[in-house]
Amino acid sequence: MHKTLKIGMTAGALGALVALGGLAPAQAAEDVAKLSVLHGVPGLTVDVYVNDKLTLDDFKPGDIAGPLDLPAGTYTVAITASDAADASAPAIGPVDLPLEAGKNYTAAAHLDEAGKPTATLFTNDISQVAAGEGRLTVRHVAAAPAVDVLANGAVAITALVNPNESVLALPAGTISAAVAATGTTEPVIGPADVNVAEGTNTIVYAWGSLTDKNLALAVQTIEGLHSNPDSIPAGEAGLVATNQANDSTGLMVGVAAVLMGLVAAAVVGMRRLSVARR
Amino acid sequence: MRATAGTFTALAVALALLTGCSTAPSTASSTAYVPPTNAAPTPTPTPEAPLPVAEVDVPTASASLDQNQVPQAPVPQRIRVDSLGIDMAIEPVGLADDGAMALPKDPSLAAWYRFGPSPASAAGATVVAAHVDSLIYDIGPFAQLASATAGTEIVVTTEDGQDRRYAVESVQTVTKQDVPWDAIFDRSGPSRLTLVTCGGEFDYDARTYLSNVIVSANPIA
Repeated sequence: MHKTLKIGMTAGALGALVALGGLAPAQAAEDVAKLSVLHGVPGLTVDVYVNDKLTLDDFKPGDIAGPLDLPAGTYTVAITASDAADASAPAIGPVDLPLEAGKNYTAAAHLDEAGKPTATLFTNDISQVAAGEGRLTVRHVAAAPAVDVLANGAVAITALVNPNESVLALPAGTISAAVAATGTTEPVIGPADVNVAEGTNTIVYAWGSLTDKNLALAVQTIEGLHSNPDSIPAGEAGLVATNQANDSTGLMVGVAAVLMGLVAAAVVGMRRLSVARR
Repeated sequence: MRATAGTFTALAVALALLTGCSTAPSTASSTAYVPPTNAAPTPTPTPEAPLPVAEVDVPTASASLDQNQVPQAPVPQRIRVDSLGIDMAIEPVGLADDGAMALPKDPSLAAWYRFGPSPASAAGATVVAAHVDSLIYDIGPFAQLASATAGTEIVVTTEDGQDRRYAVESVQTVTKQDVPWDAIFDRSGPSRLTLVTCGGEFDYDARTYLSNVIVSANPIA
């Protein structure tokens, strides 16, 4: 009987703990916006100013910063050369980033299709991912024309242009990814292994410049988007059941019906046989 | 055409009374899943300074592809509960087509949910499950879990050769529709072990148990 007692003792207190555990992160997520910053401009170490305050010092190409938890609002971002004294002469921007509470963003400093530095604010998909799957987001932020993305040799995304994105749901696992000019299969980036982790938004940026031959992939991951199995069916024979088969009157009736059916069929069959013999 | 719930209940109670069986009838133990006492809530994330991010030291990392490798949590390979005669190999599994955790048919093989925590993970519940029985293979070792008691020691061996010891905190029989699967597969909170099999009453028409037997265990320091 101790099991029943134990359940009685702990139910109230533990219910409250679990409720708190479930609520706390949700509240935090609702109050703030999350912002990451990707540096996708080759060959240029920069400083990043947010609302005229130096936020990222000596930020290097191919690096990602954050995520920062920020109160919702509009932030003005200016990107300067790394030796600038202030934000008055930015190389990129200033741009206004409107951030909503509960959302997750990446601001990317990158080249546009023509090779001019620019900045794009992406909203990251943080909705739940089906159990066993990962989300793959591909963003074109390179000085290059439209591209196709090949996953394991097959075209997965077509005609992606700067600064757009494409989002896929895939079974969790490692894929071999390559980027090719649209309509072709000859890679301009890769093939490279990308881990599409379960319950994670894996965001791959194609960045750099086709002309300068420095195209590359950058990766950002947002974890914790998983969902769970919805059951564990772990028995099929009833061999350790706390009830017994012949307790089930329904089964008995069912068996009886089947038996009667068989008898009836047999009788009919025999009659047919006897008819046939005649 | 099925026996009523009342019939089942009466029979289960009668059976428990007759046999003095230590397993509580599912009607008494399945009212609500009770989380293990050690499952403390995830600590509230410390809020960042409410902006002026100017002074904040923003974490910066390389976004290069080689930072995106598959994490190598050591896989649990064997589970032993000496006091219950359990000694089973563990296979990593994912999901069945219907969204259930996919278990090996053979109840003498245990399954680890490979997308969740491993015993080496800093946080969350390692979930190991096995069929309690099978029409082909008979009764499996996890049938003994229903008779585990608080303090029963469980040893899980991970592929790095380490034996990771746990003590049972609770054993609960919960009707399947009442099992909070998100809590069972919780990837946050203290590192812990959750064993799952089937038990309780059996629906002889649908050929399925009506309850899951859930063992919650905490690491022994």
